[in-house]
Amino acid sequence: MNPTDDGLPEDRQDMKLMIHALVDGELDAAAALAVERRIAADPELAAEHARIVAAQAAVARLPRPQVSDAFMARIAAIGATGQQENLEAAAPQSRDASGRQARTRPTRTWPAARRFGSFDWRAMAASIALTAVLASGATQWLMVGNSTDSFAVAIASGHRRSLLAASPVDVVSSDRHTVKPWLDARIGVSPPAPDLTKDGFALLGGRIEVIGDKPMPALVYRHHEHLITLIAAPQQNGGASAPVATDLSAGGFSMVHWTDDAFSYWAISDTERPALDEFVDRFRAAITAG
Amino acid sequence: MPITADFTRTCRARSPSPPEGSRKTLPGVPDGETVLSERVLAERFGEVVLPHLGDALSLARWLTGNAADAEDVVQEACLKAHAGIAGYAGGNARAWLLAIVRNASYSWMARNRPRGVVAVGDLADLDDVALPPDSAANSPEAALIAKADTAAVEAAIARLPQPFRETLVLRDINGLSYREIATMLGVPQGTVMSRLARARGLLMSDLGRAA
Repeated sequence: MNPTDDGLPEDRQDMKLMIHALVDGELDAAAALAVERRIAADPELAAEHARIVAAQAAVARLPRPQVSDAFMARIAAIGATGQQENLEAAAPQSRDASGRQARTRPTRTWPAARRFGSFDWRAMAASIALTAVLASGATQWLMVGNSTDSFAVAIASGHRRSLLAASPVDVVSSDRHTVKPWLDARIGVSPPAPDLTKDGFALLGGRIEVIGDKPMPALVYRHHEHLITLIAAPQQNGGASAPVATDLSAGGFSMVHWTDDAFSYWAISDTERPALDEFVDRFRAAITAG
Repeated sequence: MPITADFTRTCRARSPSPPEGSRKTLPGVPDGETVLSERVLAERFGEVVLPHLGDALSLARWLTGNAADAEDVVQEACLKAHAGIAGYAGGNARAWLLAIVRNASYSWMARNRPRGVVAVGDLADLDDVALPPDSAANSPEAALIAKADTAAVEAAIARLPQPFRETLVLRDINGLSYREIATMLGVPQGTVMSRLARARGLLMSDLGRAA
Protein backbone atom coordinates (compact mmCIF):
# COMPACT_ATOMS: atom_id res chain seq x y z
CA MET A 1 0.00 0.00 0.00
CA ASN A 2 1.27 3.44 -0.83
CA PRO A 3 2.32 5.65 2.02
CA THR A 4 -0.33 8.22 2.64
CA ASP A 5 -0.20 11.51 4.44
CA ASP A 6 -3.59 11.34 6.08
CA GLY A 7 -2.06 10.89 9.52
CA LEU A 8 -3.47 7.39 9.96
CA PRO A 9 -1.29 4.54 11.16
CA GLU A 10 0.45 2.47 8.51
CA ASP A 11 0.34 -0.62 10.67
CA ARG A 12 -2.56 -2.86 9.65
CA GLN A 13 -3.52 -3.69 13.23
CA ASP A 14 -3.47 -0.07 14.31
CA MET A 15 -5.49 0.81 11.27
CA LYS A 16 -8.09 -1.72 12.36
CA LEU A 17 -8.28 -0.03 15.74
CA MET A 18 -9.13 3.13 13.86
CA ILE A 19 -11.98 1.31 12.11
CA HIS A 20 -13.32 0.18 15.48
CA ALA A 21 -13.08 3.77 16.67
CA LEU A 22 -14.94 4.93 13.56
CA VAL A 23 -17.72 2.40 14.16
CA ASP A 24 -17.91 3.52 17.78
CA GLY A 25 -18.20 7.17 16.81
CA GLU A 26 -15.02 8.01 18.67
CA LEU A 27 -13.30 9.85 15.81
CA ASP A 28 -13.56 13.53 15.07
CA ALA A 29 -14.81 14.57 11.66
CA ALA A 30 -11.38 14.90 10.07
CA ALA A 31 -10.14 11.52 11.27
CA ALA A 32 -13.43 9.87 10.39
CA LEU A 33 -13.19 11.23 6.88
CA ALA A 34 -9.64 9.94 6.49
CA VAL A 35 -10.59 6.47 7.78
CA GLU A 36 -13.62 6.33 5.50
CA ARG A 37 -11.37 7.16 2.53
CA ARG A 38 -9.00 4.36 3.44
CA ILE A 39 -11.90 1.93 3.77
CA ALA A 40 -13.26 2.97 0.39
CA ALA A 41 -9.88 2.39 -1.21
CA ASP A 42 -9.12 -0.94 0.44
CA PRO A 43 -11.48 -3.92 0.07
CA GLU A 44 -9.82 -5.71 2.97
CA LEU A 45 -10.46 -2.82 5.33
CA ALA A 46 -13.96 -2.54 3.93
CA ALA A 47 -14.62 -6.19 4.78
CA GLU A 48 -13.28 -5.66 8.30
CA HIS A 49 -15.49 -2.61 8.68
CA ALA A 50 -18.54 -4.61 7.58
CA ARG A 51 -17.67 -7.40 10.02
CA ILE A 52 -17.33 -5.00 12.93
CA VAL A 53 -20.62 -3.33 12.10
CA ALA A 54 -22.30 -6.74 11.85
CA ALA A 55 -20.82 -7.91 15.14
CA GLN A 56 -21.87 -4.74 16.90
CA ALA A 57 -25.37 -5.06 15.50
CA ALA A 58 -25.56 -8.70 16.60
CA VAL A 59 -24.65 -7.69 20.16
CA ALA A 60 -27.04 -4.77 20.09
CA ARG A 61 -29.88 -7.11 19.07
CA LEU A 62 -29.55 -9.16 22.24
CA PRO A 63 -32.58 -8.92 24.48
CA ARG A 64 -32.00 -6.63 27.45
CA PRO A 65 -32.84 -7.82 30.92
CA GLN A 66 -36.26 -6.71 32.01
CA VAL A 67 -36.44 -4.48 35.04
CA SER A 68 -39.39 -6.04 36.80
CA ASP A 69 -41.81 -3.85 38.71
CA ALA A 70 -40.95 -5.67 41.89
CA PHE A 71 -37.24 -5.06 41.41
CA MET A 72 -37.78 -1.42 40.51
CA ALA A 73 -39.86 -0.96 43.64
CA ARG A 74 -37.19 -2.62 45.75
CA ILE A 75 -34.50 -0.30 44.43
CA ALA A 76 -36.72 2.76 44.67
CA ALA A 77 -37.29 1.84 48.30
CA ILE A 78 -33.54 2.18 48.87
CA GLY A 79 -33.78 5.75 47.67
CA ALA A 80 -36.82 6.43 49.79
CA THR A 81 -35.43 5.01 52.99
CA GLY A 82 -31.77 4.17 52.69
CA GLN A 83 -32.32 1.45 55.24
CA GLN A 84 -30.79 -1.85 54.33
CA GLU A 85 -32.82 -3.73 56.91
CA ASN A 86 -35.97 -2.55 55.20
CA LEU A 87 -34.92 -4.41 52.11
CA GLU A 88 -34.41 -7.59 53.96
CA ALA A 89 -37.79 -7.44 55.61
CA ALA A 90 -40.55 -9.52 54.13
CA ALA A 91 -42.38 -6.51 52.77
CA PRO A 92 -39.49 -4.42 51.57
CA GLN A 93 -41.17 -1.07 51.37
CA SER A 94 -43.53 -1.52 54.26
CA ARG A 95 -41.66 0.94 56.39
CA ASP A 96 -40.29 4.31 55.70
CA ALA A 97 -37.50 6.19 57.33
CA SER A 98 -39.70 9.00 58.47
CA GLY A 99 -43.11 10.40 57.90
CA ARG A 100 -41.63 13.55 56.50
CA GLN A 101 -39.71 11.81 53.74
CA ALA A 102 -42.57 9.58 52.95
CA ARG A 103 -45.02 12.40 52.59
CA THR A 104 -42.93 14.20 50.03
CA ARG A 105 -41.90 11.09 48.14
CA PRO A 106 -44.76 10.62 45.68
CA THR A 107 -44.60 14.15 44.33
CA ARG A 108 -40.91 13.71 43.68
CA THR A 109 -41.41 10.44 41.92
CA TRP A 110 -43.68 11.78 39.26
CA PRO A 111 -41.34 13.89 37.15
CA ALA A 112 -38.94 10.97 36.93
CA ALA A 113 -41.79 8.68 36.05
CA ARG A 114 -42.68 10.63 32.96
CA ARG A 115 -39.16 10.68 31.73
CA PHE A 116 -38.53 6.99 32.10
CA GLY A 117 -41.86 5.66 31.18
CA SER A 118 -41.10 2.01 30.56
CA PHE A 119 -41.78 1.00 34.16
CA ASP A 120 -45.00 0.94 36.00
CA TRP A 121 -44.21 3.90 38.16
CA ARG A 122 -47.80 4.57 38.93
CA ALA A 123 -48.09 1.37 40.88
CA MET A 124 -44.79 1.95 42.59
CA ALA A 125 -45.62 5.49 43.57
CA ALA A 126 -48.94 4.31 44.90
CA SER A 127 -47.34 1.60 46.95
CA ILE A 128 -44.82 4.01 48.36
CA ALA A 129 -47.53 6.49 49.19
CA LEU A 130 -49.38 3.72 50.98
CA THR A 131 -46.17 2.87 52.79
CA ALA A 132 -45.98 6.43 53.96
CA VAL A 133 -49.36 6.18 55.55
CA LEU A 134 -48.40 2.96 57.25
CA ALA A 135 -45.09 4.23 58.56
CA SER A 136 -45.37 4.01 62.28
CA GLY A 137 -44.80 6.89 64.60
CA ALA A 138 -42.54 4.71 66.68
CA THR A 139 -40.21 4.10 63.76
CA GLN A 140 -40.15 7.77 63.05
CA TRP A 141 -39.24 8.65 66.60
CA LEU A 142 -36.56 6.00 66.57
CA MET A 143 -35.05 7.36 63.39
CA VAL A 144 -35.23 10.97 64.49
CA GLY A 145 -33.64 10.01 67.78
CA ASN A 146 -30.77 8.19 66.09
CA SER A 147 -29.96 10.93 63.66
CA THR A 148 -30.12 13.57 66.37
CA ASP A 149 -27.73 11.54 68.49
CA SER A 150 -25.03 11.34 65.84
CA PHE A 151 -25.62 14.98 65.03
CA ALA A 152 -25.12 15.89 68.68
CA VAL A 153 -21.91 13.90 68.84
CA ALA A 154 -20.61 15.66 65.72
CA ILE A 155 -21.46 19.04 67.18
CA ALA A 156 -19.75 18.17 70.45
CA SER A 157 -16.57 17.16 68.59
CA GLY A 158 -16.69 20.36 66.59
CA HIS A 159 -17.03 22.40 69.75
CA ARG A 160 -14.20 20.52 71.45
CA ARG A 161 -11.98 21.02 68.42
CA SER A 162 -12.72 24.73 68.38
CA LEU A 163 -11.60 25.01 72.01
CA LEU A 164 -8.28 23.40 71.09
CA ALA A 165 -7.72 25.48 67.98
CA ALA A 166 -5.75 28.71 67.89
CA SER A 167 -9.00 30.58 67.60
CA PRO A 168 -12.52 29.29 68.05
CA VAL A 169 -13.75 31.45 65.21
CA ASP A 170 -12.79 32.03 61.59
CA VAL A 171 -14.30 35.46 61.39
CA VAL A 172 -13.61 37.60 64.42
CA SER A 173 -16.25 40.17 64.98
CA SER A 174 -18.73 41.24 67.55
CA ASP A 175 -20.65 42.89 64.77
CA ARG A 176 -23.35 40.72 63.29
CA HIS A 177 -23.17 42.79 60.11
CA THR A 178 -19.73 41.31 59.59
CA VAL A 179 -20.50 37.77 60.66
CA LYS A 180 -23.67 37.28 58.64
CA PRO A 181 -22.24 38.31 55.23
CA TRP A 182 -19.13 36.24 55.92
CA LEU A 183 -21.22 33.12 56.46
CA ASP A 184 -23.48 34.00 53.58
CA ALA A 185 -20.55 34.38 51.18
CA ARG A 186 -19.12 31.02 52.14
CA ILE A 187 -22.03 28.69 52.49
CA GLY A 188 -24.99 30.75 51.40
CA VAL A 189 -26.64 30.56 54.77
CA SER A 190 -26.81 33.40 57.24
CA PRO A 191 -28.57 32.68 60.49
CA PRO A 192 -29.61 35.41 62.89
CA ALA A 193 -26.62 36.59 64.87
CA PRO A 194 -27.89 38.99 67.52
CA ASP A 195 -25.36 40.65 69.76
CA LEU A 196 -26.23 39.77 73.32
CA THR A 197 -23.40 41.64 75.00
CA LYS A 198 -25.72 43.56 77.27
CA ASP A 199 -27.16 40.26 78.43
CA GLY A 200 -23.69 38.93 79.24
CA PHE A 201 -23.23 36.90 76.07
CA ALA A 202 -20.75 38.57 73.75
CA LEU A 203 -20.69 37.59 70.09
CA LEU A 204 -17.11 36.59 69.29
CA GLY A 205 -17.58 35.66 65.67
CA GLY A 206 -18.43 32.71 63.50
CA ARG A 207 -17.00 29.69 61.80
CA ILE A 208 -18.20 26.87 59.61
CA GLU A 209 -18.68 23.40 60.93
CA VAL A 210 -19.00 20.43 58.63
CA ILE A 211 -21.46 18.07 60.20
CA GLY A 212 -22.43 14.90 58.44
CA ASP A 213 -21.03 16.20 55.13
CA LYS A 214 -22.98 19.41 55.37
CA PRO A 215 -21.43 22.79 55.97
CA MET A 216 -23.26 24.56 58.76
CA PRO A 217 -22.91 28.03 60.15
CA ALA A 218 -21.64 28.20 63.72
CA LEU A 219 -21.77 31.30 65.90
CA VAL A 220 -19.55 31.64 68.93
CA TYR A 221 -20.60 33.57 72.02
CA ARG A 222 -18.65 34.12 75.22
CA HIS A 223 -20.21 34.04 78.62
CA HIS A 224 -17.71 34.87 81.36
CA GLU A 225 -14.87 32.51 80.54
CA HIS A 226 -17.02 29.95 78.73
CA LEU A 227 -17.57 29.68 75.03
CA ILE A 228 -20.90 28.78 73.56
CA THR A 229 -21.06 27.37 70.07
CA LEU A 230 -24.37 27.80 68.34
CA ILE A 231 -24.97 25.70 65.23
CA ALA A 232 -27.81 26.88 63.06
CA ALA A 233 -29.01 24.29 60.55
CA PRO A 234 -31.46 25.55 57.97
CA GLN A 235 -34.81 23.86 58.39
CA GLN A 236 -35.41 21.55 55.48
CA ASN A 237 -39.05 20.78 55.97
CA GLY A 238 -40.34 24.09 57.25
CA GLY A 239 -41.58 22.27 60.28
CA ALA A 240 -43.17 23.88 63.26
CA SER A 241 -41.10 25.49 65.94
CA ALA A 242 -40.18 23.23 68.78
CA PRO A 243 -41.06 25.56 71.59
CA VAL A 244 -39.14 23.82 74.34
CA ALA A 245 -35.41 23.38 74.14
CA THR A 246 -34.43 19.74 74.35
CA ASP A 247 -31.58 18.67 76.54
CA LEU A 248 -29.02 16.73 74.53
CA SER A 249 -25.99 16.95 76.72
CA ALA A 250 -23.17 15.12 75.04
CA GLY A 251 -19.50 14.46 75.53
CA GLY A 252 -19.31 16.28 78.84
CA PHE A 253 -20.87 19.41 77.42
CA SER A 254 -24.29 20.81 78.01
CA MET A 255 -26.23 20.95 74.82
CA VAL A 256 -29.69 22.15 74.02
CA HIS A 257 -31.58 21.91 70.79
CA TRP A 258 -34.54 23.90 69.62
CA THR A 259 -36.17 24.95 66.41
CA ASP A 260 -37.50 28.30 65.36
CA ASP A 261 -39.15 28.95 62.04
CA ALA A 262 -36.18 28.98 59.67
CA PHE A 263 -33.42 27.25 61.59
CA SER A 264 -32.78 24.34 63.83
CA TYR A 265 -30.40 25.34 66.60
CA TRP A 266 -27.94 23.44 68.69
CA ALA A 267 -26.21 25.32 71.47
CA ILE A 268 -23.30 23.66 73.19
CA SER A 269 -21.02 24.83 75.92
CA ASP A 270 -18.97 23.76 78.88
CA THR A 271 -20.82 26.27 81.00
CA GLU A 272 -23.44 25.33 83.54
CA ARG A 273 -26.75 24.25 82.21
CA PRO A 274 -28.69 27.21 83.73
CA ALA A 275 -26.35 29.64 82.00
CA LEU A 276 -26.90 27.87 78.70
CA ASP A 277 -30.64 27.99 79.23
CA GLU A 278 -30.41 31.68 79.90
CA PHE A 279 -28.46 32.11 76.70
CA VAL A 280 -31.12 30.25 74.77
CA ASP A 281 -33.85 32.42 76.27
CA ARG A 282 -31.99 35.65 75.49
CA PHE A 283 -31.15 34.50 71.98
CA ARG A 284 -34.70 33.54 71.18
CA ALA A 285 -36.01 36.75 72.66
CA ALA A 286 -33.53 38.74 70.60
CA ILE A 287 -34.43 37.13 67.28
CA THR A 288 -38.13 37.35 68.00
CA ALA A 289 -37.73 41.02 68.83
CA GLY A 290 -35.37 41.86 66.02
CA MET B 1 0.99 41.15 72.87
CA PRO B 2 -0.70 42.99 70.02
CA ILE B 3 1.94 41.61 67.71
CA THR B 4 1.16 38.07 68.71
CA ALA B 5 -2.52 38.62 68.27
CA ASP B 6 -1.94 40.13 64.88
CA PHE B 7 0.24 37.27 63.85
CA THR B 8 -2.34 34.74 64.84
CA ARG B 9 -4.99 36.47 62.90
CA THR B 10 -2.90 36.77 59.77
CA CYS B 11 -2.16 33.10 59.86
CA ARG B 12 -5.77 32.25 60.11
CA ALA B 13 -6.68 34.64 57.37
CA ARG B 14 -4.12 33.17 55.05
CA SER B 15 -4.95 29.56 55.65
CA PRO B 16 -7.58 28.39 53.20
CA SER B 17 -10.90 27.75 54.79
CA PRO B 18 -11.39 23.98 54.63
CA PRO B 19 -15.17 23.93 54.77
CA GLU B 20 -15.27 25.80 51.52
CA GLY B 21 -12.98 23.36 49.82
CA SER B 22 -14.81 20.33 51.06
CA ARG B 23 -18.16 21.80 50.27
CA LYS B 24 -20.09 19.64 47.92
CA THR B 25 -21.55 21.58 45.08
CA LEU B 26 -23.85 19.56 42.96
CA PRO B 27 -25.51 20.65 39.78
CA GLY B 28 -29.09 21.68 40.04
CA VAL B 29 -28.87 22.75 43.64
CA PRO B 30 -29.47 26.44 44.06
CA ASP B 31 -26.83 28.32 45.98
CA GLY B 32 -28.99 28.91 48.99
CA GLU B 33 -29.42 25.20 49.43
CA THR B 34 -25.84 24.16 49.90
CA VAL B 35 -26.81 22.03 52.80
CA LEU B 36 -27.91 18.90 51.05
CA SER B 37 -30.98 17.57 52.65
CA GLU B 38 -31.88 13.94 52.65
CA ARG B 39 -34.74 14.89 50.43
CA VAL B 40 -32.40 16.27 47.77
CA LEU B 41 -30.25 13.18 48.00
CA ALA B 42 -33.24 10.89 47.68
CA GLU B 43 -34.32 12.85 44.62
CA ARG B 44 -30.84 12.56 43.18
CA PHE B 45 -30.95 8.82 43.75
CA GLY B 46 -34.16 8.69 41.74
CA GLU B 47 -32.58 10.61 38.88
CA VAL B 48 -29.14 9.04 38.88
CA VAL B 49 -29.80 5.41 39.69
CA LEU B 50 -33.31 4.37 38.72
CA PRO B 51 -33.17 5.22 34.99
CA HIS B 52 -30.10 3.05 34.51
CA LEU B 53 -31.23 -0.12 36.25
CA GLY B 54 -31.57 -1.93 32.92
CA ASP B 55 -27.97 -1.16 32.05
CA ALA B 56 -26.90 -2.11 35.54
CA LEU B 57 -28.63 -5.48 35.21
CA SER B 58 -27.04 -6.08 31.80
CA LEU B 59 -23.57 -5.41 33.09
CA ALA B 60 -24.04 -7.51 36.22
CA ARG B 61 -25.51 -10.31 34.13
CA TRP B 62 -22.48 -10.41 31.84
CA LEU B 63 -19.91 -9.98 34.56
CA THR B 64 -21.37 -12.64 36.83
CA GLY B 65 -22.51 -14.75 33.87
CA ASN B 66 -25.89 -15.29 35.44
CA ALA B 67 -29.10 -13.33 35.04
CA ALA B 68 -30.49 -14.58 38.35
CA ASP B 69 -27.54 -13.26 40.33
CA ALA B 70 -27.62 -9.93 38.52
CA GLU B 71 -30.53 -8.60 40.58
CA ASP B 72 -28.78 -9.37 43.85
CA VAL B 73 -25.60 -7.73 42.64
CA VAL B 74 -27.42 -4.65 41.36
CA GLN B 75 -29.36 -4.34 44.60
CA GLU B 76 -26.12 -4.43 46.53
CA ALA B 77 -24.64 -1.87 44.15
CA CYS B 78 -27.65 0.38 44.60
CA LEU B 79 -27.21 0.33 48.36
CA LYS B 80 -23.63 1.46 47.82
CA ALA B 81 -24.79 4.04 45.31
CA HIS B 82 -27.31 5.35 47.81
CA ALA B 83 -24.68 5.61 50.50
CA GLY B 84 -22.36 7.45 48.12
CA ILE B 85 -24.91 9.53 46.26
CA ALA B 86 -23.54 12.74 47.75
CA GLY B 87 -20.26 11.94 46.02
CA TYR B 88 -21.85 11.90 42.59
CA ALA B 89 -20.45 15.08 41.08
CA GLY B 90 -22.40 15.26 37.87
CA GLY B 91 -21.29 13.75 34.59
CA ASN B 92 -22.55 10.54 33.10
CA ALA B 93 -24.83 9.02 35.71
CA ARG B 94 -24.86 5.70 33.89
CA ALA B 95 -21.06 5.45 33.94
CA TRP B 96 -21.06 6.39 37.63
CA LEU B 97 -23.59 3.71 38.50
CA LEU B 98 -21.97 1.08 36.28
CA ALA B 99 -18.62 1.58 37.96
CA ILE B 100 -20.31 0.73 41.26
CA VAL B 101 -22.08 -2.23 39.68
CA ARG B 102 -18.79 -3.49 38.30
CA ASN B 103 -17.15 -3.37 41.71
CA ALA B 104 -20.16 -5.01 43.29
CA SER B 105 -20.06 -7.74 40.63
CA TYR B 106 -16.45 -8.55 41.33
CA SER B 107 -16.84 -8.57 45.08
CA TRP B 108 -19.89 -10.77 44.63
CA MET B 109 -17.84 -13.09 42.40
CA ALA B 110 -15.00 -13.16 44.89
CA ARG B 111 -17.43 -14.16 47.65
CA ASN B 112 -19.51 -16.62 45.71
CA ARG B 113 -17.20 -18.20 43.22
CA PRO B 114 -13.61 -17.45 44.03
CA ARG B 115 -12.38 -19.59 41.17
CA GLY B 116 -14.27 -17.55 38.59
CA VAL B 117 -12.39 -14.36 39.28
CA VAL B 118 -9.50 -13.56 37.02
CA ALA B 119 -6.41 -12.51 38.91
CA VAL B 120 -4.88 -9.16 38.12
CA GLY B 121 -1.74 -10.80 36.80
CA ASP B 122 -3.70 -12.62 34.15
CA LEU B 123 -5.21 -9.36 33.04
CA ALA B 124 -1.90 -7.68 32.47
CA ASP B 125 -0.63 -10.71 30.59
CA LEU B 126 -3.58 -10.61 28.26
CA ASP B 127 -2.83 -7.02 27.32
CA ASP B 128 0.77 -7.85 26.62
CA VAL B 129 -0.17 -10.37 23.99
CA ALA B 130 -0.03 -8.74 20.59
CA LEU B 131 -3.14 -8.53 18.50
CA PRO B 132 -3.72 -11.72 16.57
CA PRO B 133 -2.11 -11.86 13.14
CA ASP B 134 -4.07 -10.35 10.35
CA SER B 135 -6.26 -13.20 9.27
CA ALA B 136 -8.53 -11.59 6.78
CA ALA B 137 -8.34 -14.72 4.67
CA ASN B 138 -10.20 -16.86 7.18
CA SER B 139 -12.35 -14.16 8.75
CA PRO B 140 -16.03 -14.84 8.32
CA GLU B 141 -18.16 -12.77 6.01
CA ALA B 142 -20.10 -9.94 7.59
CA ALA B 143 -23.29 -11.57 6.34
CA LEU B 144 -22.49 -14.70 8.31
CA ILE B 145 -22.02 -12.68 11.49
CA ALA B 146 -25.24 -10.79 10.89
CA LYS B 147 -27.13 -14.08 10.62
CA ALA B 148 -26.03 -15.36 14.04
CA ASP B 149 -28.92 -16.01 16.39
CA THR B 150 -29.30 -14.70 19.90
CA ALA B 151 -28.17 -17.89 21.61
CA ALA B 152 -24.99 -18.03 19.52
CA VAL B 153 -24.15 -14.40 20.25
CA GLU B 154 -24.76 -14.83 23.98
CA ALA B 155 -22.65 -17.97 24.06
CA ALA B 156 -19.87 -16.23 22.16
CA ILE B 157 -19.86 -13.30 24.61
CA ALA B 158 -19.87 -15.67 27.55
CA ARG B 159 -16.80 -17.43 26.14
CA LEU B 160 -14.76 -14.22 25.92
CA PRO B 161 -11.98 -13.82 28.47
CA GLN B 162 -13.21 -11.59 31.26
CA PRO B 163 -11.33 -8.32 30.45
CA PHE B 164 -12.44 -8.53 26.82
CA ARG B 165 -16.01 -9.40 27.74
CA GLU B 166 -16.18 -6.53 30.20
CA THR B 167 -14.91 -4.03 27.66
CA LEU B 168 -17.24 -5.29 24.94
CA VAL B 169 -20.27 -5.17 27.24
CA LEU B 170 -19.47 -1.69 28.53
CA ARG B 171 -19.11 -0.45 24.96
CA ASP B 172 -21.65 -2.36 22.87
CA ILE B 173 -24.33 -3.08 25.46
CA ASN B 174 -23.98 -0.24 27.96
CA GLY B 175 -22.89 2.28 25.31
CA LEU B 176 -20.09 3.93 27.28
CA SER B 177 -17.40 5.88 25.46
CA TYR B 178 -13.77 4.76 25.29
CA ARG B 179 -12.85 7.46 27.75
CA GLU B 180 -15.51 6.43 30.24
CA ILE B 181 -14.47 2.80 30.00
CA ALA B 182 -10.80 3.72 30.40
CA THR B 183 -11.63 5.73 33.51
CA MET B 184 -13.73 2.96 34.97
CA LEU B 185 -11.19 0.21 34.34
CA GLY B 186 -8.25 2.41 35.21
CA VAL B 187 -6.41 1.64 31.97
CA PRO B 188 -5.26 3.84 29.07
CA GLN B 189 -7.67 4.40 26.21
CA GLY B 190 -5.32 2.48 23.95
CA THR B 191 -5.81 -0.58 26.12
CA VAL B 192 -9.56 -0.17 25.90
CA MET B 193 -9.26 0.02 22.11
CA SER B 194 -7.12 -3.08 21.80
CA ARG B 195 -9.28 -5.07 24.24
CA LEU B 196 -12.35 -4.07 22.31
CA ALA B 197 -10.76 -5.04 18.99
CA ARG B 198 -9.69 -8.36 20.47
CA ALA B 199 -13.13 -8.97 21.93
CA ARG B 200 -14.86 -8.25 18.66
CA GLY B 201 -12.31 -10.27 16.74
CA LEU B 202 -12.94 -13.33 18.92
CA LEU B 203 -16.67 -12.77 18.72
CA MET B 204 -16.58 -12.51 14.93
CA SER B 205 -14.60 -15.66 14.37
CA ASP B 206 -16.75 -17.50 16.91
CA LEU B 207 -19.94 -16.42 15.17
CA GLY B 208 -18.48 -17.26 11.79
CA ARG B 209 -17.78 -20.79 12.97
CA ALA B 210 -21.16 -21.20 14.65
CA ALA B 211 -23.16 -20.13 11.66
